[in-house]
Amino acid sequence: MASERPLLVATTPGASTPDDAPSPHPPAASLLPPAQSEPPLRADRLAFSVEVPDPFRPPYRRGDGPAADPSASSQQREREGGDDESRGVIVGEPSPEFAGNAIRTAKYSLLTFLPRNLFEQFRRLSYVYFLAITVLNQLPQVAVFGRGASVLPLAFVLFVTAVKDAYEDFRRHRSDRQENNRLASVLALGTAGEFQPKRWKHIRVGDVVRVASNETLPADMVLLATSDPTGVAHVQTVNLDGETNLKTRYAKQETQVRFSQNAGVGGILHCERPNRNIYGFQANLEIDGKRVSLGPSNIVLRGCELKNTTWAIGVVVYAGKETKVMLNSSGAPSKRSRLETQLNRETVILSFMLIGMCTTASVLAGIWLLNHRRELEFTQFFREKDYTTGKNYNYYGVGMQIFITFLMAVIVYQVIIPISLYISMELVRLGQAYFMGADKDLYDESSRSKFQCRALNINEDLGQIRYVFSDKTGTLTENKMVFQCASIRGVDYSSGKDTGGYSVVVGDHLWTPKMAVKADPQLVKLLRDSGSNEEPKLVLEFFLALAACNTIVPLVLDTRDSKQKLIDYQGESPDEQALAYAAASYGIVLVERTSGYIVIDVLGDRQRFDILGLHEFDSDRKRMSVIVGCPDKTVKLYVKGADSSIFGITNNSSELDIVRATEAHLHKYSSLGLRTLVVGMRELSRSEFEEWQLAYENASTAVLGRVNLLRSVAANIERNVHILGATGIEDKLQDGVPEAIESLRQADIKVWILTGDKQETAISIGYSCKLLTNEMTQIVINNNSKESCQRSLVEALATTKKLRAASSIGTQGPLLASETSTVTLALIVDGNSLVYILETELQDELFKLATECSVVLCCRVAPLQKAGIVALIKNRTDDMTLAIGDGANDVSMIQMADVGIGISGQEGRQAVMASDFSMGQFRFLVPLLLVHGHWNYQRMAYMILYNFYKNATFVLVLFWYVLYTAFTLTTAITEWSSLLYTVLYTSLPTIVVGILDKDLNKATLLAYPKLYGSGQRDDKYNVNLFVLNMLEALWQSLAVFYLPYFVYRLSTIDMSSLGDLWALAPVIVVNMQLAMDIIRWNWIIHAFVWGTIAATTVCLFVIDSIWVLPGYGAIFHIMGTGLFWFLLLIIVVTAMVPHFVFKAFTEHFRPSDIQIAREMEKFANVNQVNLSEIPMRGLS
Amino acid sequence: MPPPLSLLRPHDVSSGSLAVALYALLHHFPRTFPPPPPASPSGHSKASLMDPLEMQDDSKKSNKPKYSKFTQQELPACKPLLTPAIVISTFLLVGILFVPIGLASLSASQEIVELVHRYDTNCVPLADKVGFIQDTKTDKSCTRTLTVPKHMKNPIQIYYQIGDFYQNHRRYVKSRSDKQLRYKDAAHLTKDCEPEVYGADGAPIVPCGLVAWSLFNDTYTISVNKKAIEVNKKDIAWQSDKNKKFGSDVYPRNFQNGNLIGGAKLNESIPLSEQEDLIVWMRTAALPTFRKLYGRIETDIMENDQLTVVIQNNYNTYSFGGSKALVLSTTSWIGGKNNFIGVAYLTVGGFCLFLALFFVVLYMIKPRTLGDPSFLSWNRCTLDYPN
Repeated sequence: MASERPLLVATTPGASTPDDAPSPHPPAASLLPPAQSEPPLRADRLAFSVEVPDPFRPPYRRGDGPAADPSASSQQREREGGDDESRGVIVGEPSPEFAGNAIRTAKYSLLTFLPRNLFEQFRRLSYVYFLAITVLNQLPQVAVFGRGASVLPLAFVLFVTAVKDAYEDFRRHRSDRQENNRLASVLALGTAGEFQPKRWKHIRVGDVVRVASNETLPADMVLLATSDPTGVAHVQTVNLDGETNLKTRYAKQETQVRFSQNAGVGGILHCERPNRNIYGFQANLEIDGKRVSLGPSNIVLRGCELKNTTWAIGVVVYAGKETKVMLNSSGAPSKRSRLETQLNRETVILSFMLIGMCTTASVLAGIWLLNHRRELEFTQFFREKDYTTGKNYNYYGVGMQIFITFLMAVIVYQVIIPISLYISMELVRLGQAYFMGADKDLYDESSRSKFQCRALNINEDLGQIRYVFSDKTGTLTENKMVFQCASIRGVDYSSGKDTGGYSVVVGDHLWTPKMAVKADPQLVKLLRDSGSNEEPKLVLEFFLALAACNTIVPLVLDTRDSKQKLIDYQGESPDEQALAYAAASYGIVLVERTSGYIVIDVLGDRQRFDILGLHEFDSDRKRMSVIVGCPDKTVKLYVKGADSSIFGITNNSSELDIVRATEAHLHKYSSLGLRTLVVGMRELSRSEFEEWQLAYENASTAVLGRVNLLRSVAANIERNVHILGATGIEDKLQDGVPEAIESLRQADIKVWILTGDKQETAISIGYSCKLLTNEMTQIVINNNSKESCQRSLVEALATTKKLRAASSIGTQGPLLASETSTVTLALIVDGNSLVYILETELQDELFKLATECSVVLCCRVAPLQKAGIVALIKNRTDDMTLAIGDGANDVSMIQMADVGIGISGQEGRQAVMASDFSMGQFRFLVPLLLVHGHWNYQRMAYMILYNFYKNATFVLVLFWYVLYTAFTLTTAITEWSSLLYTVLYTSLPTIVVGILDKDLNKATLLAYPKLYGSGQRDDKYNVNLFVLNMLEALWQSLAVFYLPYFVYRLSTIDMSSLGDLWALAPVIVVNMQLAMDIIRWNWIIHAFVWGTIAATTVCLFVIDSIWVLPGYGAIFHIMGTGLFWFLLLIIVVTAMVPHFVFKAFTEHFRPSDIQIAREMEKFANVNQVNLSEIPMRGLS
Repeated sequence: MPPPLSLLRPHDVSSGSLAVALYALLHHFPRTFPPPPPASPSGHSKASLMDPLEMQDDSKKSNKPKYSKFTQQELPACKPLLTPAIVISTFLLVGILFVPIGLASLSASQEIVELVHRYDTNCVPLADKVGFIQDTKTDKSCTRTLTVPKHMKNPIQIYYQIGDFYQNHRRYVKSRSDKQLRYKDAAHLTKDCEPEVYGADGAPIVPCGLVAWSLFNDTYTISVNKKAIEVNKKDIAWQSDKNKKFGSDVYPRNFQNGNLIGGAKLNESIPLSEQEDLIVWMRTAALPTFRKLYGRIETDIMENDQLTVVIQNNYNTYSFGGSKALVLSTTSWIGGKNNFIGVAYLTVGGFCLFLALFFVVLYMIKPRTLGDPSFLSWNRCTLDYPN
């Protein structure tokens, strides 16, 4: 196994050298190591935790056929366009052949704005439909409505949107300009060390740039030299991957020396083509006739900030849009809500209905004309000819009449496709967004962040989520490691109390560590008393180990008080930070670190410890160690690591009882959910040290197999360790995370954790947030080649089947099918394996396996892999996915998922910017999904169906009338009422109901997470419901039309009067239907529903008071007859009876969960006994 | 500082609409900048450069949502449920209400005495009906005798009923000029009146358009038991039409003097507001078979009285195969004689009573405790379903 794993060192040996890249300088063969000596190497300590195949190596080596390298095919994919050309950069010579450093995020220019914007707007099908109808209406033969009036609405919407877009783009232009015009110091051409300011946009690949501390890097650069003599630079990558800690980057000694001697620049750099992998970089530099290989630790990326380093000089290798950060910021894909997508299906059905109705009307019109064609001339109501001119008047023959009738029918019946629905939906989403933002339960006090809807078109998706993909750090946890307790030499010190912290006096300044840790008073006392006693000395050693055995860089920060300074520990591992802070709280304060030594303030006494050697952490050894030269001239080895790893190297015989006691404490700590580390120490004799030093130096300068050599050196020295003790660190979960995850799980939402963390960390977090439990069977996929991945996947699948089979035999009967899944499986995959699985045929296997498992944890995943995992589910199922994260490394996943949520936490704003919704805490996911998501979904689903239904009712009423007008598309209803029907008569109540109606209380929804299932199952919007609604529309339109028809069949009724009845009756009917379906009547809803009916009546009064319209006075006249009122009553009752019967029947005899929950709310007092006993039944 | 109109993400552009812009305006989305240039200036300065509101953030006291019943969606509300009691009483109520209404309507309709006499077939020679009707010289009077089946109380309405005449035909209803009807000066406003716009002299026709042109021109002279009775033709049109819609200073001009006579002629000395037959006619009928008020008889007619009607059969319904009938009818609150509404009420009422009974039985057969959590789908499988 060990030989398969990539070994981890900071610099990669020449394995990555492109021996066949066309380079102007053929490589000197002698300097090249054998091509496939080692797998590509990564520096784990440097957070390049993701195994990325060497993109530099071609899949096939010339001459030796298919490569044996299993990752060859994925390598090819990794490379942009499969082109294996590298780019050659002459250091110090700006090269115009590559992209410049200017960036452009704006979409339009002055010239392209109008056409492009219109094009984009008309990509919405509804606008096209709108336009087509408007154009049709302009034809004089076809015109149904007034010309100007029909253009106005569309023009208005287009104009407002265009203005909004223009303003947005203007803002983008401005920010682009600001970004492009920032200044950077660039080495002037032809000089040796003169840097001149240059605008960012003029920087080119090959420029040598000097960056000072706290400046942002303008482009991706390979470090050439830094202010530190050893070539170390620290960068903060918060804009890039969301991690706030400092990362160490190195300039190569070869270039560092050159610059420190002011020897100027030179050399040719060959690097891979621009790609999006921010954790990978392969290049080599030819300098002074030598070839130096460069890895990811030698490059600093655009967007990072230089920290704690006075200056750094680098050569630009990628600029502008080719920088990794720009390549990673692929534009947010447009998201559409699922309902909106489904709605298209119904729209198509309705289009067919529309075409059907138009065809029927026009064909019947044609038949009528044919039957009467001889009579048309003298028929008073037709009169084909104008007798003064003798020409046909507005008559073009039967064929043409059919065509014209068809077009007119389209205009008259167009409302059956509810265009206004799109506007209503947006208004509803607006209201929903307002209420989500106003919800006090979604407000985070600590970060003072409100819930924000950033995308306004997917509110209702929140009610249909089946998969939640969560980031770990900062999302589930607070990203704050806190030292909790220690076991030292077998004694447990876990009764920490708040102390004021500990400060160090330096000159006349007081240096205080940024974070104080609760200190155990007993331990503090013990430390203070440290005399010659053995015990306190070892306690001191323990804390020295904590302070020394790490890679923490202490930063001294100014505070407002000039006497006070803060010590901020920066490092890549939050655990190490926590340990350093802990040591500081006990008085052992790490104050300074240089590349050769560290200064520790030991209880007020500043001491210098030389760091003689460091064995970095790797996940095989699971420990790290430092060799320290102490002030008393002794040489000590401090080691810390996982318990299993340290206990293996203790001298068991002498310390058995201590080991036992420590083990017991460790068990206690980890059961409390703490992350544990064991610390050990060994004093080295002079001979041992010298022996080690020789080996260490040999190993670290070795060209071949450096990693293995270093590991064996470490293994040699890390033995016979004395156990100093163990630590317990709490990775503080955010408030309510375990409860939130439990709720989500009960709601049948699968929670997957995707983290860049180590596997052990991920698992321990999994336990502490109750995602993983001890009853679960864990399947770990942790492989290093495609074959082994495949093997493990197949094995795992087989195991799952076996377990399933076994468990189903274990339980009795098929009745309890849902209970058979007692064997819960947890899948743990790591990023290395995912490299071989994602985007290969193994994906399907992983998908099968993952869907079998109730919990999935992915560790050490790169940003794009996170997106890949989301895509894995998204592309294979219809299930809705939600991604939640807080860092820039979550951006791709947030954009990939159906719903992306950004946590507005400490880490940058990248995730929030890319998200659809942003909020302050992970636990808000529960009210967001279970309450607001549920409400939004059921409201929106109902509103869409209702809009289809109400427009269909109206159009059908119009259609029935056409059958009695010789198929000439006369509408008895005035054209004003026709236009107002969708706009005013029926739209407002649906919008208000869509915003305000709630099927269930917040408390009920939270108490019964399973109620969320209605959204997941598409209970509220599906074809069946659509058909049901259409049938209701059909019945109601028949009632509305034919009851008056039969009553007034042989009477003096005039068109306008009957038209008013036919306008008023459907308005009342559809509003009654709405009223029947409203669940919660508050005064606003009352006002809108009844107000709308009143408003309709008023509108009819107003329209019939306009004397120039033929219908003048009709409504007053007809309302004066008793028959009218009796008709209205019977129409409404007849129309509503089927709906009422259906509702009464299903609600009583086939109640949905929601219905029962509603009854529970209403009769809570009556059924209280039941409530308290049964509700959580079956939820485990 | 004016609230900046915030920026939505680029993809909002395509879905953009009024509502989105509105939302942006209302909320001026703090920190809603398009993400693209992430590699931008250092942390804080960047944020402040891009978004002025970010700076305000610290100074703002609190952006915590204010609590109110409205914002928390906790307005007091009534939550009606369709409990068995409500369902049954609703059906009962409807039934109890509807059956009497139905009976009342039915009896009202039964009391109406209606005499319908179709005369278009009897008043023309069998051959060449169209020729006959188009010939202006022939005498078209036609005498019909009817027996009154039942005592008819005054006022007795006289209608003419025309069948298969599409007064709601699209090209017909549009062919009128309402402005012209009202204002003397608006005689030239004839653009909608095609194809009946100008008279032979080229001057506009008043009233123009097909509707006026096709004015019905059959007349009825009625005598009961050989004794002529007066037909009151006053106030047969709507008062509102006479007052507002038809001008009292607008006189017919050029009317019915074109190549083709559509129907009745108008007395050019009477203003339009007094031409009640025209006003009635121009209130176009909703359905292809319709009645229009011709006049009123203000005396009772006894049972078995002999009614003699002399019809001037002028109106041409023969060219399109329409029918004509004379209708005499007494009045009641329900309008004309029509059993349909009564039957409909009885049917719906009866059906609701049946449904009430049906649901009573259903609820008795399959009772269910409302709000019993054991009926929740995820609880159901573990409990016995009560049958």
